[in-house]
Amino acid sequence: MRGVLLGLVLERPGHGGDLANRMVTRLGNTWRLDSNDAYRLLEQLEREELLVSREEPGKTNGRRTMIVYHSTPKTSDALSLWMETLLPREPVRFGLHAKLSVARPEDAQRLMVALRDYEQKCLALAQLVTPNGREQRSWGALYMDCTREAVYTQLRAEIDWAASARDRITEYAKSQPAR
Amino acid sequence: MTPLLRIRDVSKAYPDGSGEISVFDKASLELIAGSHVGVYGKRRSGKSTLMRIAAGIDRPDSGSVLFDGLDINSISGVERSRLLRSRLAYIAINDWRPNPGETIVQHLAVSLGGGGLTVREAERKALRQLDVVGVSAAQANSPATQLSMVDRTRVMLARALARDPSLIVIDDPVLTPSVTERENLYRLLRTAARGLGSALLVTSEDLHALQGFDVFVSISARELCSSETTATIVPFPIPPHLGPVRDTGS
Repeated sequence: MRGVLLGLVLERPGHGGDLANRMVTRLGNTWRLDSNDAYRLLEQLEREELLVSREEPGKTNGRRTMIVYHSTPKTSDALSLWMETLLPREPVRFGLHAKLSVARPEDAQRLMVALRDYEQKCLALAQLVTPNGREQRSWGALYMDCTREAVYTQLRAEIDWAASARDRITEYAKSQPAR
Repeated sequence: MTPLLRIRDVSKAYPDGSGEISVFDKASLELIAGSHVGVYGKRRSGKSTLMRIAAGIDRPDSGSVLFDGLDINSISGVERSRLLRSRLAYIAINDWRPNPGETIVQHLAVSLGGGGLTVREAERKALRQLDVVGVSAAQANSPATQLSMVDRTRVMLARALARDPSLIVIDDPVLTPSVTERENLYRLLRTAARGLGSALLVTSEDLHALQGFDVFVSISARELCSSETTATIVPFPIPPHLGPVRDTGS
């Protein structure tokens, strides 16, 4: 959440509700952030000098003021650092999706490293799944196999997704003229 | 430990109209003697190309392939054929071409002949090998042209096992929608290779089928990614202005 907020503010300043809405637009409803939680996080980021707030007149009602959050000289570096941080080991890494959602072109290399690391972690998890040694078809063997298959299917989807994302970033990079 | 197979910085591209399609860009893979490596990749990801390069059947555009220290791209065609008939077995399901009228055991006996064996001795050896891969004596006398895809792989595996190879390279052995048949065949591959102490390099479009393999490798986006390696910065054709290449050292 912290990294996504930094990325969104870096794109353009916004108040808490605006940032929460932009997060939902970008990441879907599973990421819905309560306005109170958003302000709590934003205040914390301000205390760390990663954001700065200013009271500004509202766009629709000029008499009403709003707390609008702006980036600071530290915001960009903090976002870059977040792009490089390790992610937890759960098979589906929403954190990686979050990073992609606010990535800048200069983050391409960091994303490639994160995606490849994720792909490798998924392969390592697949390797850890104990194989079924029984050839006899019992009900127990069947449901254990179905469970295993669920794990493999999920891991395969993540591996495919990470590979596809890497491929697309590479293709994009190739299409860009060198400066 | 010295790897049995070392694929180093291999690049391969195929012509595509006026341009070309890059299959690998400096891909590397190492396989220890006796280990079982499963390569997962989607259709047209380059699995077959990788297997042919690993077996020395295709040459990479650049990079090297060492089998037990031998550069298999620098040896003569005769030496390569000899290698493929002995220590390095390559199995591709599409290579199944029995003669019309041939039975399974006859087909296998013919390929086992030439080593000083009489026809009867070759047939006896063929029957023993077929038994190892689960093909009964009754089945062995049925026409080779009528085999299912799964049984073709079994027979081709029997042929490979008879040569006591150090490495068995198999390109997508199962073309069957049956989950059970697929699992049983991959289990058979692992068990048979383990029995001989042979290393195994097998591809699959199904990650589930590779359960029990020692190492998982994915092939995608012109790269190989292994479950055994830690993340490293890989050669990546991103222009400098799209981000610094930093070695994380991890």
